[in-house]
Amino acid sequence: MASIQTGVAAVSATDIIENARRLRRETAADVHEVLVEAIYADAARIADRAVARPGRPARPTLDRTLDRILTSRVWGFPIMLLLFALMFWLTIIGSNVPSGMIADQLVGRLWPVLRELATSLGLPWWLKGLLVDGVYLSTAWVISVMLPPMAIFFPLFTLLEDFGYLPRVAFNLDRAFKQVGAHGKQSMSLMMGFGCNAAGVVATRIIDSPRERLLAILTNNFSLCNGRWPTQILIATIFIGSLVPAQWAGLVSAGAVTAVALLGIGFTLAVSWALSRTVLRGEVSAFSLELPPYRPPRFWQTLYTSLIDRTIFVLWRAIVFAVPAGAVIWLSANLNVGGVSLAQYLMHYADPVGVLLGLNGVILLAYIIAIPANEIVIPTVLMLTVLVTGSQGIGEGAGVMFELDSLDATRSLLEAGGWTLLTAVNLMLFSLLHNPCSTTIYTIYKETGSAKWTAVATLLPLALGFAVTFAVATVWRWAS
Amino acid sequence: MSLPFIVSLVIIAALLLWPDSGLVARWRQARVRAARVRREDALKHVLKCEVNGELPTLNSVAGALHIRDGAAADLIADMEAHGLISIGEGRIRLRQPGRELALHIVRAHRLWESYLAEQTGVAEAKWHQLAERKEHQLSPEDADALAARLGNPLHDPHGDTIPAAGADLPADTGRPFSTAPLDTPVLIAHIEDEPEAVYRQIQALGLRPGMKACIFAKEDGCIRFWADGREHNLTPILANNLAYVPLVGTTREDLFDEEFLSELHPGERARMLGLSAACRGAERRRLLDLGFVPGTMIEVELVSPSGDPIAYRVRGTVIALRREQARLIRIGNRETIPTEAVAS
Repeated sequence: MASIQTGVAAVSATDIIENARRLRRETAADVHEVLVEAIYADAARIADRAVARPGRPARPTLDRTLDRILTSRVWGFPIMLLLFALMFWLTIIGSNVPSGMIADQLVGRLWPVLRELATSLGLPWWLKGLLVDGVYLSTAWVISVMLPPMAIFFPLFTLLEDFGYLPRVAFNLDRAFKQVGAHGKQSMSLMMGFGCNAAGVVATRIIDSPRERLLAILTNNFSLCNGRWPTQILIATIFIGSLVPAQWAGLVSAGAVTAVALLGIGFTLAVSWALSRTVLRGEVSAFSLELPPYRPPRFWQTLYTSLIDRTIFVLWRAIVFAVPAGAVIWLSANLNVGGVSLAQYLMHYADPVGVLLGLNGVILLAYIIAIPANEIVIPTVLMLTVLVTGSQGIGEGAGVMFELDSLDATRSLLEAGGWTLLTAVNLMLFSLLHNPCSTTIYTIYKETGSAKWTAVATLLPLALGFAVTFAVATVWRWAS
Repeated sequence: MSLPFIVSLVIIAALLLWPDSGLVARWRQARVRAARVRREDALKHVLKCEVNGELPTLNSVAGALHIRDGAAADLIADMEAHGLISIGEGRIRLRQPGRELALHIVRAHRLWESYLAEQTGVAEAKWHQLAERKEHQLSPEDADALAARLGNPLHDPHGDTIPAAGADLPADTGRPFSTAPLDTPVLIAHIEDEPEAVYRQIQALGLRPGMKACIFAKEDGCIRFWADGREHNLTPILANNLAYVPLVGTTREDLFDEEFLSELHPGERARMLGLSAACRGAERRRLLDLGFVPGTMIEVELVSPSGDPIAYRVRGTVIALRREQARLIRIGNRETIPTEAVAS
């Protein structure tokens, strides 16, 4: 047996190991944690001795005053609502003009040029239709409707983030999220979701516990994103604003859109609650939220990073999905089986389901083929409605998406397609409660790395949408 | 016979009989697996009886595995045939291969529970159930790798000893909590995780191994005790699922005078004394990372509009904690901040 000769006695190696084992067993169970604490305490002591702190308060008093106001019982929530209302207002108002300009250039000018080019090159009609009317037009549409709101909303959001206000929002709202088993920081990804759900899903990275992060990802789609606001506003203006005298129309339709957005927040909380009591059961792990000092936002840097990181990132993903969708939309309207287009076949089959839900086959099909972006749902609906009703002189032909300049024209086209107030209300609900767009679905897959949770995130809102619209339609028909 | 009929017959036959992945083969594999799981569970039971000085019997095996006596008798005979146990003079004894296997299963179970507690967000009530399944899937090499990754822990989250590879299993420590002396602080050493319903209740009270507790009243059907700055009540049945060891150097007053951060009011500051034993794993490390270190001065900075969470000033930064977190941070030297210090 190997042994070590010492001055006093011979100690064998096995004895030493046995001794070490015994000592380890006898040490307190939390020795590991005691050590860690001691290291931290030592570090703190050394820092206290070596770092001189001049005789001023650790935090500037302006910060404290701001904090007292922004998180006060009286002013905290009103200020928050006001700031976000301002942000949405700026986004919606500010993006009208640039959207129109981009659409003028891409759809008004470049599109006819491309059509002529395709003709002069002698392309067969189907290839020309597929490429120019399908792929190009849907991409152009996505860019013109999506880019301006995102280029306004994201920098505004990032400015608030940079200033240090968003952690205070999480601080103010944490109680509500705690009660549904979620993390207060979910309020930040929720707000981001109002800009774009794909960006909102990415924003959940700030939540450090996996369970709460998954909750935030699964419910982000209930934030009404920029792509859905135009649909809501258009339908609310046409069908709901017209129910009241003209001077109230603006207010009532804005109220209807706000109600849908608030309903979305309600669904976020309710679904978080239900999930954290069923499949995602568990305690809230390690909540902590740092409230950093306020600092003047760096304007240009913010503008640059939010454009690159968020706007371009999301836009690129949307374009990648818009290309095949444009082809599918065009093909569905132009592939004929026995003299009837594929789209008409599909709408025919979807119609009974659509009617049961208080919608119609056109809307269901539009939501299926316009999955890459919510922005192209209304153009697709209009195109398909023309296809169904056979209206003459409206639109640009089968498979070509379009929008109408006047609300009255849109209204009469939709009414020709059999739309009622119920259709409008349920479309607004379904626009809130349906599967996320393909960009978001892909982002969810990237972030969770799990096909299962991606499927849940996709199908759960859809199932809710079916249930809610069905319930509304049933009650509506029963009541009227 | 028509062709489609024959084709479907062939397909059905293939689905049933395909080697390794057909239904029959899978059913057979599942049966083999279930038999192995039963055998390993039985060995684990015999080992636990042995180290705690109890006598494993046919009935106790049947009870532990929730199987009928007849099935337990078959199981014991089968284990004897495999050389895992010996039956002599009416006693069930482990033989060396059986002992090694049982030790491995216990080790794998407790390591997996430690892993779930330390490195995942899995709910506490699920740990035992998940480990019951996982223990049969880990090889001894897997268990060693897991132990190394966890820093070779000595105790699992319930306070049980994790036996080292190849080492013997020590007897369970501690005595039933209901027998603890009155008005004397003791250390909660172990919380039994079976049955799950009982464990869930204990866990909901926030009780954890490593906590100091002091019984101050034993009434009919109710044991009242103090732990982590709060009063708790347990029925004796529940209390027997806790085990205690004596504690030296802490008096009843020390324990009752403990204060926690959640009790600190705006305008007050205090010195942090330590983290409760109930706070562990990622949560504990996170709090330490944020600067909640013994000796640090903490003051209340902001209260959210709804009263929870509360933001604390720690080492020049402001950190918001929920009430549940603040309740885990032990404080002392509580004092009111002089008004001029607030104003300046």
